[in-house]
Amino acid sequence: MDTLAKLQILSGAARYDASCASSGSKREGPSCGTGNTSSSGICHSWADDGRCISLLKILLSNDCIYDCAYCVNRSTNPVERASFSAREVIDLTLDFYRRNYIEGLFLSSAVMQSPDQTMERMVRVAEALRTEEQFGGYIHMKIIPGSSSELVRKAGLYADRISVNIELPSQASLQRLAPQKHKHAILEPMALIGREITTSLVERKASHRAPRFAPAGQSTQMIIGASPENDFQILRLSQGLYKKMNLKRVYYSAYVPVIADNRLPVLAAPPLLREHRLYQADWLLRFYGFSAEEILSDDAPHLDESFDPKTAWALRHPEFFPVEINGADYATLLRVPGIGVLSAKRIVAARRFSRITPDGLKKIGVVIKRAKYFITCSGRSFEKPDQPPALIRQRLLLGESSEAPMSILPKQLVLPGLIA
Amino acid sequence: MNRYLYDGTADGLLSSIAWILEEEPDPEKVTLRERMDTLFEEGFTIGTDATLAESLFFRLKQHAPDAAHTLYSFMLAEKEGMETSLLHYVSLAFKHGDKVKGYLTHPAVRDIVNVAKKAGRELHRMKGLLRFEKLQDGAYLAKMEPDYNIINPLAYHFSRRLRAQHWFLYDVKRRTAARWNNGTLQFGTIEQFTTPALSEEEKKVQELWKAFFKTIAIPDRKNPHLQKSNMPMKYWKYLVEKQGE
Repeated sequence: MDTLAKLQILSGAARYDASCASSGSKREGPSCGTGNTSSSGICHSWADDGRCISLLKILLSNDCIYDCAYCVNRSTNPVERASFSAREVIDLTLDFYRRNYIEGLFLSSAVMQSPDQTMERMVRVAEALRTEEQFGGYIHMKIIPGSSSELVRKAGLYADRISVNIELPSQASLQRLAPQKHKHAILEPMALIGREITTSLVERKASHRAPRFAPAGQSTQMIIGASPENDFQILRLSQGLYKKMNLKRVYYSAYVPVIADNRLPVLAAPPLLREHRLYQADWLLRFYGFSAEEILSDDAPHLDESFDPKTAWALRHPEFFPVEINGADYATLLRVPGIGVLSAKRIVAARRFSRITPDGLKKIGVVIKRAKYFITCSGRSFEKPDQPPALIRQRLLLGESSEAPMSILPKQLVLPGLIA
Repeated sequence: MNRYLYDGTADGLLSSIAWILEEEPDPEKVTLRERMDTLFEEGFTIGTDATLAESLFFRLKQHAPDAAHTLYSFMLAEKEGMETSLLHYVSLAFKHGDKVKGYLTHPAVRDIVNVAKKAGRELHRMKGLLRFEKLQDGAYLAKMEPDYNIINPLAYHFSRRLRAQHWFLYDVKRRTAARWNNGTLQFGTIEQFTTPALSEEEKKVQELWKAFFKTIAIPDRKNPHLQKSNMPMKYWKYLVEKQGE
């Protein structure tokens, strides 16, 4: 099989992995080699699904011994199988990088003979790129659950980011849909990576010659909508991963039905709206000072379909509002629907020079379409004060044109919880 | 209100600003624009002094590095008719330091910051969207038609990245070029451009890239609107993956 045919099979098999970030690492390239990394990350193209392409995202092989129900590469699925040689991956990476198509390599793989054998082949590719080819670009490597800690450590020394996919949000779902994968085989390397990153950061403070370990941190991904967990369970899991394992990112991937299996839900389309709402809630956890318990509860364990999670929170908490633009601190401003990190920073910066007027608010680029129900400007309201939340709810729904593109997305027909 | 004129060059602009900041008690009350040499033109023309221009930029960098960066990005945009705003912006930057970028309720600050942001955004975009082609002699060439004059910082970016390669950047509309070879970066203009022959392997690598581009998209999630808003069509002309679609 020639490289082109392999590339088609092995990039097609890798496309369901949501991660594409190339940020978080800053490395000067080797003087006689190719490539460096930029801390903000760079997108090089956008695919037909609108997602950014920054890395050559491929599997080393799709020839899998596992039989996970949701996976296109499961051993019982009759798809064409292919495996790259190390040389092929290295040449593709360098040929693409030299033409500025990509920021680096994203290497994952199906489990070929055993986790260790697969991981070893992947590590060899990264090692050759770094040491033989003097490649200084970005490398993101997947850790195969169950591979030895020695290999995990080695991967972290060559890669900028490493990630172990958690795949499904609970042990029960893992057992049902991916019986060959075990919770501890996923969480153990995660904890190990977390420890190694911390150690490396401490050592590098003492000496700049200490080796870097996954300088862009670790991330993970879970599939949304293939198993019956509710949003509250998922958010609490993410919160734990951020707090206890020091993860940089949790990616959510709307389940795309690739093969029929009676253990899987029947969906008319991937649950994109749910994925979108989870990402919004995830942002609230990471940048807005919210906790999972504030966003959802056992009584209301699902994210609102019609409102973003912050607006939904605000409607439940009328006692928190109105927030005074000229007085509230940054953390309070962040809780206003429609005011994001950028707007809150701009408000705080502009207040140093003069009080902000309603007109000034527009001038500094704060969109008040949603915010206007929740703020005052030097004591003046934009809307009639003390409107009941139910009325605000209705008016927001009528005026929410910025959210309109989401509402035409196909909805999930059968809830996964119903088919267990 | 005093009116000042300058010769229309970048050096002229910066040295006039330096001169006004030195001589005028309240620089925010004066205007500055390009001299047109029309009959009834009013205003005092300030001479151009490259050293003065350079020292202004250097002093601003010391005093307010962020604001100096904004000034630099603004100059890439080659915007005409915003000289007075720039003068007021620089004056405010010396007064308030880097905090000036938060003073978005001030019209001059808003104008300058917005233009600078657009130029900065295109520079960042181009770092990703530029495409090199390998030529027969082993060198790499990238053609582009950016809105803003970003070839300088862009070439610097690639001089840190593709160090071991011999490469050229060519701004087709401005006819300017950058060349990196053996550790030195040079800039120049090109009067007559003839497209050199590509290397034999080039076509093959481009086919591989096109195939990757196609298969990496999830068919169930097709979203051409999102694709276009992230990657505007004006950049497609030189994108390998968007040829022959």
